[in-house]
Amino acid sequence: MSRASILNAIKKNKPESVPLPQIDLSLFHEDIDLVDIFYKNLESVGGRIVSLNTIEDLDAEIKKRYPNAKSIVSCSNTSQLATISISNETEPHSLESIDLAIIDAQFGVAENGAVWISENDFIVRALPFIANDLVLILSKNDICLHMHEAYNLISKRERTFGVFLSGPSKTADIEQCLVIGAQGAMSLTVFIF
Amino acid sequence: MSHAKEAELFNKDEAKVNWHDQALWFVRNKRDKAAHTVKGWEDLRNLASAIKANVLSNLDDYLVQFEENAQKNGIQVHWAGDAEAHNKIVHDILLQNNVKKVVKSKSMLTEECHLNPYLEAHGIEVIDTDLGERIVQLAKEPPSHIVLPAIHKTKEEVDALFQKHLGTVPSHGDPRYLTNEARKHLRDKFLKADAAITGVNFAVAETGGIVVCTNEGNADMGVHLAKVHIACMGIEKIIPEEKHLGVFLRLLARSATGQPITTYSSHFNKPVQGKEMHIVIVDNGRSEQLSREAFRSSLHCIRCGACMNTCPIYRRSGGHSYKATIPGPIGSILSPGMDLKKHSSLPFASTLCGSCSDVCPVKINIHEQLYQWRQIITKNVKQPVVKRSILKMAGIVLANSKLYGFLGRSSRFMLKHLPKSIVNSKINTWGKARDLPKVENDNFEDWYKKRKS
Ligand code: SF4
Repeated sequence: MSRASILNAIKKNKPESVPLPQIDLSLFHEDIDLVDIFYKNLESVGGRIVSLNTIEDLDAEIKKRYPNAKSIVSCSNTSQLATISISNETEPHSLESIDLAIIDAQFGVAENGAVWISENDFIVRALPFIANDLVLILSKNDICLHMHEAYNLISKRERTFGVFLSGPSKTADIEQCLVIGAQGAMSLTVFIF
Repeated sequence: MSHAKEAELFNKDEAKVNWHDQALWFVRNKRDKAAHTVKGWEDLRNLASAIKANVLSNLDDYLVQFEENAQKNGIQVHWAGDAEAHNKIVHDILLQNNVKKVVKSKSMLTEECHLNPYLEAHGIEVIDTDLGERIVQLAKEPPSHIVLPAIHKTKEEVDALFQKHLGTVPSHGDPRYLTNEARKHLRDKFLKADAAITGVNFAVAETGGIVVCTNEGNADMGVHLAKVHIACMGIEKIIPEEKHLGVFLRLLARSATGQPITTYSSHFNKPVQGKEMHIVIVDNGRSEQLSREAFRSSLHCIRCGACMNTCPIYRRSGGHSYKATIPGPIGSILSPGMDLKKHSSLPFASTLCGSCSDVCPVKINIHEQLYQWRQIITKNVKQPVVKRSILKMAGIVLANSKLYGFLGRSSRFMLKHLPKSIVNSKINTWGKARDLPKVENDNFEDWYKKRKS
């Protein structure tokens, strides 16, 4: 069965056209404190939050949280902690023993504690997954209510690779016991200013 | 072997069955809590269902649109009519790239196609990288659940497996230790793999991109390190526009595990310069299911597993008892379409309580379709097999008073639709392992008559 025969079979077997529904956003609107709900949800998915008084405190606060991090990649202009620099030529396997990656998040989503980051924010696609620990920097003003708003925010992006990231990697595959740190980052901290 | 026979095997270890039952019920409760926090949850389900209905009614057009857009972005698109063609396409891509080692993230489709044994027979190492899948792979078993592949394994069993295959020290099944050892083991595999195979949760016609959801980050670890990415998808994974992801991603993880969203929802639109990305679009019986009006909506399924977690039969019979790639209620309406005779006992592995339909995020009328399959099977498959299945299953359920409480709606339904000879047959044969609840035992006939009137 080739492409043509699959498409023909579908054409023959599909039901009569059913209209595509519109998404009525008013159904999902809520007047809530976005920052507060984002905090709660991020904590519930195993992420940590550090609220900065001023963005100048960033590096000091990161150091406090990750005192042992030696190999650090920073893709953010606000942090000067990088010990290793990367470019789009960097071979992803060479990031194997990165302790900490610091990345600017584009925005957060209140309903699920996720942040959106895309390739431009971290240069090498493997970085946010292969780094042992992850720091994301997010402005309080960049938190949206739900995924409908989120997709609106990224609708005009250059589509290469991007990810909604909600907390550190985790698994409950052994007797349903939640263990943080499966194949991806062992911890995820969002620094909010 | 029929589902009932297989279920009997699973029920031999009562403590394990009880644990399995409760663990899944716990997940079901988490799903409820998560759903209740979302304003407009039912509207989301309605939307999801309506979007999927639209997809099926324009599926050929959406697929062509998807292909066009994917190709524009440098993704190579392949079409496979059946499992064999799928396996061959994947193998050919691997051959062309001289691939010896593959890491794979969760994909029920590749299970369905038996891709692993096919590639292994051709000398290629395939490592499943989802922890649960790695556990069952080491145990040489299929997954027993589509979201929780190793839910049937105790931590002690995992401990023993890891000692044998990963050289771990005995830990009495310490999940943290075992997970960490698996992390080290899999890291090594990721770093050495030449190609990564992933499933596809959603394929967006409008953009030609795909979304893959995991909690462990294993799909991304594989894809971003390997030089070739092959994503395998059933034709029904299409959604029309990217904004529809908003609807489905809000529903998927909450329905699956009660999380507000999976840890990673990765959007792949373009391969990295110098690397290859392939998408294999697979039919394997789906276009045929599309022709069956009564069963068509089974193709709405987004594989969240909620219908399994809530199903009283699944929870007490285990995923392996279904002898099908997709177990549980949804599997029981998909599998007969693939092989009616082989899977003829599955639609009877249900109390028809309707709980599956109640939790399904895309509103598939699962229990009604189970009932419809029964009609077809009673007509087409030898009777005694069918009747025995009904009796056995009813036996297992009725013998457990806690489960019996579930029946509510279902018992009425079942009694209404069962042949009279079965309803009136000796009740004692139903209660194999345990005694039936006294009251029902004494007054069954009366009760039945009352209910009927
Ligand atoms: S049938 Fe519905 S509840 Fe069951 S796995 Fe599919 S989407 Fe989830």
